[in-house]
Amino acid sequence: MSNATAENGASSYSGTVIAVNAVISVVVALGLVWVVNGFNVFYERLNRVSPTVEGGGIGSAFDAGNEMGLLVFMVEAIHAIDVIMGLFILVLVFVHWGAFRRLAARMRQPGESRMVPDGGADDDGGETQ
Amino acid sequence: MTNLDHGKFTRMTTVFHSLLAMDVFFLFFTGYAIMFNDELWWMLTLMGGSGSVAALHRVFGVGLLALITFWILMMVTTDTGRSNFGEIMPTPGDAKAFIQDIQFVLGNEDERHPNARQFAGGTADEIPLLSYVGKGVVFIFAAELTLLSVSGLLIWSKTGLMQYFATQTAAMAFVVFHGLLGVVMLMGIMFHIFEHGFHPAFFPVETKAFIPRSMIPEDHDDDTEGTGIEMLELSPAWASATNLAGAATVIGIVSVMLASIYDTGFPVSTELIVGGGPSNLLLTVGVNIGVLVLFLGMVLSVYGNLVRMRWEQRVQEETESESVDVETAD
Repeated sequence: MSNATAENGASSYSGTVIAVNAVISVVVALGLVWVVNGFNVFYERLNRVSPTVEGGGIGSAFDAGNEMGLLVFMVEAIHAIDVIMGLFILVLVFVHWGAFRRLAARMRQPGESRMVPDGGADDDGGETQ
Repeated sequence: MTNLDHGKFTRMTTVFHSLLAMDVFFLFFTGYAIMFNDELWWMLTLMGGSGSVAALHRVFGVGLLALITFWILMMVTTDTGRSNFGEIMPTPGDAKAFIQDIQFVLGNEDERHPNARQFAGGTADEIPLLSYVGKGVVFIFAAELTLLSVSGLLIWSKTGLMQYFATQTAAMAFVVFHGLLGVVMLMGIMFHIFEHGFHPAFFPVETKAFIPRSMIPEDHDDDTEGTGIEMLELSPAWASATNLAGAATVIGIVSVMLASIYDTGFPVSTELIVGGGPSNLLLTVGVNIGVLVLFLGMVLSVYGNLVRMRWEQRVQEETESESVDVETAD
């Protein structure tokens, strides 16, 4: 007797573990948001305009931020990664496109008569015992 | 209905994949409506303007954090999960599979390497859990999602970030970093949609990702040579659909890659820049085609689940009719 729904020896995950982990992950996600929401500004200290202080003044924080080595490097690096990965992904697209065309050429063409009378997978989902 | 191949994933994994896909699609739609607003202004308007889009992006962001945490917990706390770590490690076979794929396209090889084969068919015993692309996806997405989560959490409260770095531009740098980081994933997902939607044996969607392996019959004739792909009939729509989707995927990837170069916000300009204009028309069309590819991916993900539901129903009907047969035979 065929039983397509039977576990075919493949291991799977228990429902309890899934439920517990789901609850923990929701709590962790909301907790993280709660933490970063508290990561807020103390307005008394933020970017005070101090025209009398050497190197202070309006706009100086802007310039300083634009020249922070770490931030500049971070953004430049990710720009480069975008282009490099983009080109690599394009190669993968073309390789797969080409491979698909070769594989398609091997298949029975639409409307072509069936060459193998039995054993072939039907369009209704393959063979059943 | 598409042809069933050997199953690979548990129901937990297939359901997780669908949820992650939906969440990531909505993060893309909201996030890039903001970052590429020159090109996708209509999406920004459609979703209620910048305030509404930013709020939605955060909602889906929390969803992503929950999904990532859930997956990490499942992989670490269960035996099945821990056994997966061995399965995803890259092997020399994966490098060979990539080379052989190129050779296969050039006509120098007759078969794809088992580590590249998407349609297993009669060769299921040789096929690893993940192809070389699948392993790459796991590693790149793991790195991407980690960095996107960290940078996303950092820019959750921009004023906090400004205070920490004692400059407003630091917040902008992290926002730009977050958006540019996502571009790698954006391009990767476009390829992923093409890869699993347009394989001739599976067109229009590879059901492995949606139908759990427990529901797929695992027996096959051992006497057939090779995968047996030549026994399958090609869909009449495959050729034109694949050319269209392939072109859209390429245009989409190239366009978002170019847009990522132009649409930068750091270093913050000290002068007002007026963007747009006819010179941006091509880029606008291209980026919109890219969004169309993502939308197609979302539709295919829903369709994959529809196919699963139909298959579930059918398996149930067959089981029921069989049990009736057994009863009458008695």
